Amino acid sequence: MKLRLGLIAGLSAGLLATTALADIKVGFIGSLSSDTGLSTLRGAQIAIDELNDAGGVMGQQVSMVTADTGEDVIEGVKAFEYLAESAEVDFIISGSIDDVSLGWMPRMQEYQIPTLDTWTSYIGIIDMVIEDPEVMAPYFMNIASDEALATLYINFGAEVLKAKMGFESVVILAEDTAFGQAITGLVTDALAPVAGIDVADVIVYDIGTVDFAPIFSKAQNSGADFIYQVSSVNSQVISSQYVKLQVPMAMTGVNVSALGMEYWEDTGGAGGGISTLSPVPSVGFPLDPVSQGFVDTYQSKYDTRPMIPHFNGFNAYHGLKQAMAAAEAAGGFSDVAAWNAEMLKQDLILEKDGQLWLRYGFWQHGEVEEVTGRTYPQNARFDLTSPYEDAQPSMVVIQWKEDGTVGVVYPFEYASTEFELPSWVK
Amino acid sequence: MTQILIQGMLLSGLYALIAMGFMLIFSIGRTLNLAYGAYLLVGGYVYFWLCQQMGLPQIVGFAGAVTAGVLMGLLKHRLIVKTLNGDHVAIEISTLILAVVLQAGVVLLFGDSSKILLPIVPGVVTVAGAQVTFNILTATLISWAVIIGLYLYISRTHTGRAMQAVSMDAKGAALSGVDPDRINLITWGISGGLGALGGVFFASYTQLYPGMWVAPLIISVAVVIVGGIGSILGTLVVAHIVGFMEVGVSSWSPELRGVFTMILIVAVLVLRPQGLFGREETH
Repeated sequence: MKLRLGLIAGLSAGLLATTALADIKVGFIGSLSSDTGLSTLRGAQIAIDELNDAGGVMGQQVSMVTADTGEDVIEGVKAFEYLAESAEVDFIISGSIDDVSLGWMPRMQEYQIPTLDTWTSYIGIIDMVIEDPEVMAPYFMNIASDEALATLYINFGAEVLKAKMGFESVVILAEDTAFGQAITGLVTDALAPVAGIDVADVIVYDIGTVDFAPIFSKAQNSGADFIYQVSSVNSQVISSQYVKLQVPMAMTGVNVSALGMEYWEDTGGAGGGISTLSPVPSVGFPLDPVSQGFVDTYQSKYDTRPMIPHFNGFNAYHGLKQAMAAAEAAGGFSDVAAWNAEMLKQDLILEKDGQLWLRYGFWQHGEVEEVTGRTYPQNARFDLTSPYEDAQPSMVVIQWKEDGTVGVVYPFEYASTEFELPSWVK
Repeated sequence: MTQILIQGMLLSGLYALIAMGFMLIFSIGRTLNLAYGAYLLVGGYVYFWLCQQMGLPQIVGFAGAVTAGVLMGLLKHRLIVKTLNGDHVAIEISTLILAVVLQAGVVLLFGDSSKILLPIVPGVVTVAGAQVTFNILTATLISWAVIIGLYLYISRTHTGRAMQAVSMDAKGAALSGVDPDRINLITWGISGGLGALGGVFFASYTQLYPGMWVAPLIISVAVVIVGGIGSILGTLVVAHIVGFMEVGVSSWSPELRGVFTMILIVAVLVLRPQGLFGREETH
């Protein structure tokens, strides 16, 4: 009898201890095998470790459950359902790509689980927030939306591509994805009226394309001065074939594979000359001490790719802490409206050499951004106007050089190198 | 138009090499080897591992890739084809599963991110406005050399003629003293080697990734179905039809690349089941 009572007492204590150790459940949704997904996962894990080491959140330990999307829309929906129904998580951090986020969005609206997207930048989701703030209350996006990315890129077009390089026309090569369509639309609408660069042609190709020779020929035949690529899924192929074929036109745009330090190895060294816009912080972007500390911890903990987290890893690290701070202030995650209100108040300013360097805050409802003249509620705060005193620029343009080095070329305030044409184009 | 002709010619040579190994197995062993793409997968990765990761000379990379392909072909014949003893459905399902397993193995060893093979011969030349890499030019020339060599081997050697005999009538060949089992084994070995060699060129032209076995398999199926059983000439001609069609469609509407190849397969299956150059089967 004593033994049985002892066993019951021991089991009860064990259960209580387990409950106390893992009271707040964070769900990760994203690819467990892509650099993108791993950046978010690891950034979130480091934030959780630091929170737990500091005593947890509201006296409770934080644990993480993962759900793999494999960067597939259907798998993404299943993953969200798993996190909501089986794992019963309190909060979800997402490293999903745009199409996958769009897939699980109706589930998020249904389950009303506070969710932070660290990679997806589709402006249509922010439009959903504007149209139905109550249903979209659990959703925050802590990367500048693609409209903000494209808007500042247009300035790069005007100040560098047009003014410095003398380019008059562009041909757009875009993957057939939601992200590709969104960026293509924004760039097409704005390049001619704002930067004075005409769009000669738009070529859309399947994400499974592995032979770009005919596509580059078509681009050359358009008579355009340079290529604008929009590639978020299979980016290293187009880059390496551009270099291998020595296509006699400059190529810039959005190339997601070029956002990580592994790009050079992945392209077998055939990646020089490519420039791409990148959310901040990018590769080649100097870091403030706090973010550098995060990278140091990351590198001491992980020895597999990505060796340096992509921008969404930083978003996950800082964003998860902000989500927990909002939960502490709101008394948890269950009252979504209260959590939303506290999340909107989060404002982390990181300085470098006494200057504002990175800001993790959110646009408020009704707050109008001056350049675009529209609102971005629950989207990461960004600045589209030099000298970027309110927040960091929505994006920077980075360029990989033919010797394998990489640097920021725009905005000029953040530039560490100059934009230049590949040697075979000069 | 000149660009399409040049790029079509180069791509078609590569497609012909890729399809040749598949055609041999289909013609001689009467088997749809759905794991054929896996030879290309393994060949490409073995070359990558030897040359780009181990830093060994290219000749070692080629030898390693072809050896791996030949061994795979021989093992597949001995362990699957012979064991299943002519049950074509079981062989096709088994080979398909094998390809998926090999893909998982590649993910385990090399990860699932794409790899870019360095050009086998670096450099590029502009011909009539089209960029032609020395890499694809070399691949095409070697493809042609291999195809001509294969044609001479099949038409002029004793084993080659035995392969033709088994292809036409295995029982009749056996009555004439040919060992169909030995011929099949040799054919599977040659097919594996050709596939692995094609894989190195295909990967150097495009990229290495664990799912890269699917596209060449579709190309091979298309070429063999449209070309017909037992025809090297048919394989060559149809490889060029498919290659030119893909380049032409890509130049017009890149999203539709591959769609017309599928339509061609269906049209030939309906209108001329024996293929454009194949002989009619009598049972």
